[in-house]
Amino acid sequence: MNEWLVPSIKKHWRGFSLAAFLSLMAILCASGLLFTSGYLISKAALRPENILMIYVPIVGVRTFGTFRAVFNYVGRLASHNTILKVLSEMRAHLYEKLEPAALFIRSKYKTGNILSVLSEDIEHLQDLFLRTVLPGGIALVIYALWVAMLGLFSPSFALGMALYLLLLLAALPFISLIWMRKFHRRISKSRHQLYEQLTDAILGSADWMMSGRQEQFIVSYEKLEKESRLAEYTLDNFRKWRDFAAQALIGICVVITVIWSGHMVQADSMDRTLIAAFALVIFTISESLVPLSEAIERLPQYKQSLNRLEEIKNVEDKLTKQVMSKNWDQPAEWINIEVNHVFFKFAETEDWSVNDVSLSVPQGAKMAVIGRSGAGKSTLAHLIYGALVPSEGSVTLNGTPAHMIGEMRSKQISVLSQNPHLFDTSVLNNLALGSPQATIDDVVRAAKLVGLHQLIEKLPEGYHTQMHEAGSIFSGGERERLALARILLRNAPVVILDEPTVGLDPITERTLLKTIFKTLEGKTLIWITHHLTGTEKMDQVLFMENGSIHLKGQHAQLMRESDRYRSLYELDVPKHLRQAIEEPSSRE
Amino acid sequence: MDRELLSYKGAKLLFAITALLTFFQGLCVILQAIFLGRVVAGLFSGKQIASVSSDLLLFFVVLVFRHFLSLVIKKACFRFADRTSSELRKSFLTKLFELGPKSIRKEGTGALVSLSLEGVLQAKKYLELFIPKMAANAIVPVLILLFVFWTDKMSGIILLLTMPVLIIFMILLGLAAQKKMDDRWASYRVLSNHFIDSLRGLPTLYYLGISRLHKKTINRVSEKYRSMTMGTLRLAFLSSFALDFFTMLSIAFVAVALGIRLIDGHILLEPALIVLILAPEYFLPVRELGQDYHATLDGKEAARKLRAYTNNTNVDSLSADAAQQHLQWSEHAVLDVKACSVTHEGAGRRTLNNLSLHLSGFEKVGIIGASGAGKSTLIDFIGGFIKAESGTIKINDHDTSFSMNEWRQQVTYIPQHPYLFSASLRENIAFYKPDATEQQLLQAVQAAGLEPLIRRFPGGLEERIGSGGRQLSGGQEQRVALARGFLCDRPILLLDEPTAHLDIETEYELKEPMIHLFQNKLVLLATHRLHWMEQMDRILVIRDGQIVETGTQDELIQTQGVYHEMVRSQLEGIL
Repeated sequence: MNEWLVPSIKKHWRGFSLAAFLSLMAILCASGLLFTSGYLISKAALRPENILMIYVPIVGVRTFGTFRAVFNYVGRLASHNTILKVLSEMRAHLYEKLEPAALFIRSKYKTGNILSVLSEDIEHLQDLFLRTVLPGGIALVIYALWVAMLGLFSPSFALGMALYLLLLLAALPFISLIWMRKFHRRISKSRHQLYEQLTDAILGSADWMMSGRQEQFIVSYEKLEKESRLAEYTLDNFRKWRDFAAQALIGICVVITVIWSGHMVQADSMDRTLIAAFALVIFTISESLVPLSEAIERLPQYKQSLNRLEEIKNVEDKLTKQVMSKNWDQPAEWINIEVNHVFFKFAETEDWSVNDVSLSVPQGAKMAVIGRSGAGKSTLAHLIYGALVPSEGSVTLNGTPAHMIGEMRSKQISVLSQNPHLFDTSVLNNLALGSPQATIDDVVRAAKLVGLHQLIEKLPEGYHTQMHEAGSIFSGGERERLALARILLRNAPVVILDEPTVGLDPITERTLLKTIFKTLEGKTLIWITHHLTGTEKMDQVLFMENGSIHLKGQHAQLMRESDRYRSLYELDVPKHLRQAIEEPSSRE
Repeated sequence: MDRELLSYKGAKLLFAITALLTFFQGLCVILQAIFLGRVVAGLFSGKQIASVSSDLLLFFVVLVFRHFLSLVIKKACFRFADRTSSELRKSFLTKLFELGPKSIRKEGTGALVSLSLEGVLQAKKYLELFIPKMAANAIVPVLILLFVFWTDKMSGIILLLTMPVLIIFMILLGLAAQKKMDDRWASYRVLSNHFIDSLRGLPTLYYLGISRLHKKTINRVSEKYRSMTMGTLRLAFLSSFALDFFTMLSIAFVAVALGIRLIDGHILLEPALIVLILAPEYFLPVRELGQDYHATLDGKEAARKLRAYTNNTNVDSLSADAAQQHLQWSEHAVLDVKACSVTHEGAGRRTLNNLSLHLSGFEKVGIIGASGAGKSTLIDFIGGFIKAESGTIKINDHDTSFSMNEWRQQVTYIPQHPYLFSASLRENIAFYKPDATEQQLLQAVQAAGLEPLIRRFPGGLEERIGSGGRQLSGGQEQRVALARGFLCDRPILLLDEPTAHLDIETEYELKEPMIHLFQNKLVLLATHRLHWMEQMDRILVIRDGQIVETGTQDELIQTQGVYHEMVRSQLEGIL
C-alpha cells in the first residue's frame, strides 16, 4: 500500500487539498443559497419598509448561486488534474518495476493479459480519490461545520443532532461495508470464473462446435452466471433499501430541525426568520452525507487492485545484477566470445538450464544452435547477451564478463527475436528506434537492404505512416524484416537470431534467412533455430539437449557421423524429393 | 426517445407503470413542499408546534411515500434490465458458437469476452436507468411547473424560461466538447495507448538498450496526455457548469423575486416558501439525467452491438431433418464439391474460387500451396467453419452442407495450435467423448505417446493443464490433440499445419503416432512440410484459391509444374 499511495499523497497533498477545498466550497455555496433564500423571504415577509433591509440577503443569494457553479467547475478540474498527475507517476513506477525483468515478463506473467490488468488497476485507483476519499472527506467536514453552527444556537441540540447524523455518517456506511463485502467478494469471484470459462470456451470454440456439445457449455455457463446475478440482485436490493432508509432518516432530520427551531423561536432564543432557513438547508446538508455509504462500499475493490500491484516484486538481483566495468567505455569493432564451463539455473530447486557449456566464438563466426524447446538455447543466448549472470563458470566478451559491459552492451550485440514488437508510432520511428543518430537516408538504405522500401513507399504516408494503420499490412515475415532493418541501423558486431522464423512458411522463411545472412555478412551470428535448413552454411552447429551440448561440429561432419542428425535433416530436406528434383536438372 | 428500447419484451408495460408511478411521485413532491411550507409559515407566524404537528406528520408520510415509490420503480426497472440483458447474453452466446472461430478471429477473443461480460453489464445499466429517467424528466418538471404557475405566475415564468436556456447551453457545450474530442482523437489514441504499448514492447526496448531511457518518454507522454485530457475536460465540464449555473441562478432569481413581492405584499410567505422548496426539485430530474449520461451511452452502444452480432446471418441453415444417414462416412463414401466459392470477409477477394473436389473412402490427401493460397480456408470450409456462397456439396449423392452437426460430428480437426481447455488432462483428452471408459482413454493416451508425460505429472491424468494449469510445450499439445483424435475415432481427419511451429526433433517424434492415427480415415492434411507428402495418396496443389494440380507425388514431380517448382524453391540453399 505504502509504495503506491503514500509517495503520491505526500507529493501532491497541495493539489488534493485544493481540490477538496473547492469541492467543499461548492457544497457550502449550495447550502448557503438555500439558507439565505429561506432567510430572505422570511425577512421580506416581515414587510420591512425599505428594500434595502433585505439587500444583504439578496446579494448573498445571488453570490452563492453564481459561485456554487464556479467552485464546482474549478474543483472538478483541480481534482482531475491532481489525480492525472498521480496516475502518470504510478505508470512510471510500474514501468520502473517491470523494466529490469523485461526479457522474462512473458514467462513470468504467463498470460499477456496481466499487463493490461495492471494498467487498468492503475486507472481504477483514480476512483479511490474521486469517488471515495473526496466525497467522504467532504461529508465529514460538512458534518463538523453543521454541528458547530448548531452549537452556536444550542449546544445540547447540536450534540443530539451530531449523534443522530452519525446514523447517516457512520452506521449506514459501516453496515454497508460489512454486509456487502461478502457479496462483492462472491460477485468478483464468480465474474472471474465467468471470464475464465468464457475465454476458455471462445478460444476453444472450434472444438466445442466440432464436438456438438456447445449447448452443454451454454447451459453450464448460464448456471454460473445465475449465481453472480443472484448476488448482484441481493446487493442491488440492499442498496435500494439503504437509500430509502437514508431518505427516511433525512425526513426525520427535517422534522426534528423544524420542531427545534420552532421551540427556539418560541423561547425567543432565535430569530423567527431562521426557521425557513434551517428547514431549507437541512436537505442539502443531510444529502451531502448520503454518498458516504457508497464511497465506503467501494473500498474492498481498491484493495484488490492495490494487492495486484503490490504482488509485483522486484526481480531477484541474482538473475540480472548489472555491474559496470570500467575497462569497457567504448564500442569495440571486433568481439571474441568465450564461454567457459558455464552453468545456470533459474531457481535453486530447478535443474540446470545450462549445464557445463564451453564455446569459443571469434568475430565473424556463424554458429547455429539447435535443440528442442526447453533445451537451454535461449538461456545460453541470454547468458551471452549478459541479461543473466552464470551460476558457475564465465561468459566473456574480449575478456570482460558479459554482464559487466553495461551501457555498451546493446551497441555490441543486437538481438532479432521472434515477434518483434512494432510500436504505435510512425514506420520511420520504428525503424530508427534505438539509433537516434540515424538520418532518413540511413533508414531508407536499411529498408532497401531488407527489401521493404517499395512496400513502405506504397503506404498512404510512406515512412510517416502510423504503425497503427500499417501494422495489419505487414505480414509476419515483413515484421521480422522491419526488426532486421532496426538491427542493421545499429550495426553491432554480434547478432543473436532467436528463432526469428518460427511460424513463417518455408518459402518466406528461406527468403528472410537469405536476406538476414546477406545483410549481416561479416558479423558474428549466433542463430537459434528449430529447423535444420541452412545449417550447412554455418561454421559450427551446436546441438543442445537438457542444457548441455550434445553434438558439436560442422554440418557435413555431423551428417557423416550422427544418424540422429541425418534423420532430422532429412525431415526438412526429404532425400527422395531432393533426388527427384536434382536428377532431371543434372540431366539437362 | 430510443425506439429500439421499446422493442424489448415487457418494455412497454414497464414504461406505462413507471410513468404512472412517476406521476404519483410528482404529486408527492408537491405535497411535501406544501406541508413543509405550511409548517414553517405557521411557526413563523407564531403558531404552537402542537398545532402544526399534523402537517409535520403528513409531510413526513408523503416524503416516505415518495421515496417508496422511487424504490418500487427502481426495483421494477432492475428486474426488467436483468431479465432482458440476460436474454441478450444468451442469444449472443448461442450465436457465437453457431458462427464459430472464423468470426471470433475477426472480432477478436478479447472483444467478444468483454462484450459478453462488460457489455452486457453496461447494457443492463442502460436498460435499468433509461426508462425511469425519461419518465421523471417528462412528468415531474411539468407537474411542478403547473403547480408553481397556479401558485405564483412570476416564479413559474422564471422556471419555464430557464429550462430551454439550460438545455440549449448544455447541448451547445456538449457538441463543442465532442468536436474537440473528435479533432484530437488520433493523438488521443496514441497517447492513451502509449503506456500499454510500451509494456508490451518492453523486451524489444531492452534489446535496443533504451528500456531505461524510455522511462523518461513515459513520463513525457503521460504528462502530454494529462494536459491534453485537461484541455478536453475544461470544455467537457462546461456543460455541467452551465447546468449548475443556470439552476442556481434561476433559484436565486425566484428567491429574490419572491422577496421583493413579499415586501410589497403581493404574495404571502406560505406560497412563497412552497415555491422556493419546489424550485430545486424542478431541476432535479435534468441534473440526474446528466449524471449517468455516459454510462447510458456506453450501455446503449453495447446493447446495439450485442443485437447486431445476434442478428448476423452468416451461417448455413439447412433444415436439420435432411437425410442424415446418407452423411455417414465410410470406406465407400464419396464427397463431391462442385464450383464452391468462399469470400474472405473484408478482403473482398475470393479465397476459394470456383473450387471442385472429389474425395472418396479413406484417402490420404495432402494440401500444399504458398501462404495465403487458400489451404486453411479449404480445411475451414470442409470443417464447416465457413460457408460457401455458391456451388453444391454432395455426400453419397445427397445435397448437404458442411455446417450440419451430423457432418461435423464425423470430423476430427487438428489445427496448428490445438486449444487446451483449462481443465484436467483427462477432461481435455475426453473432450469429444466425455463418456469414454478408462480402458479407451488409456489406449488413446498410449497411442498418442502421452504416457511419459503423465508419469512425470504428480497428478497423472488429473493434472490441470491449459490456462492457469501446467503449461505444455507445442509438441505435448499436439499429442493431447492426437489422443483426442484416437479416442473419438471419427472417420474424417482434418489437419491444418499440425507441425509447422515445432522443433524438428519433436516433429520427428510426432510423425509416427500421426501416421498411426491416419489409418482407416479420410485424411486432409494442409502443410508446408514436404516430408508429409510421401505418406499421402494424392496431393492437391492450391494457388489463388484454386486447385491447380492434383496427383501422386511422383506424378506431380514428373509433370514439372507448380509442385515441382515449389519443391525446388524450398530445397534450394539459403545462401
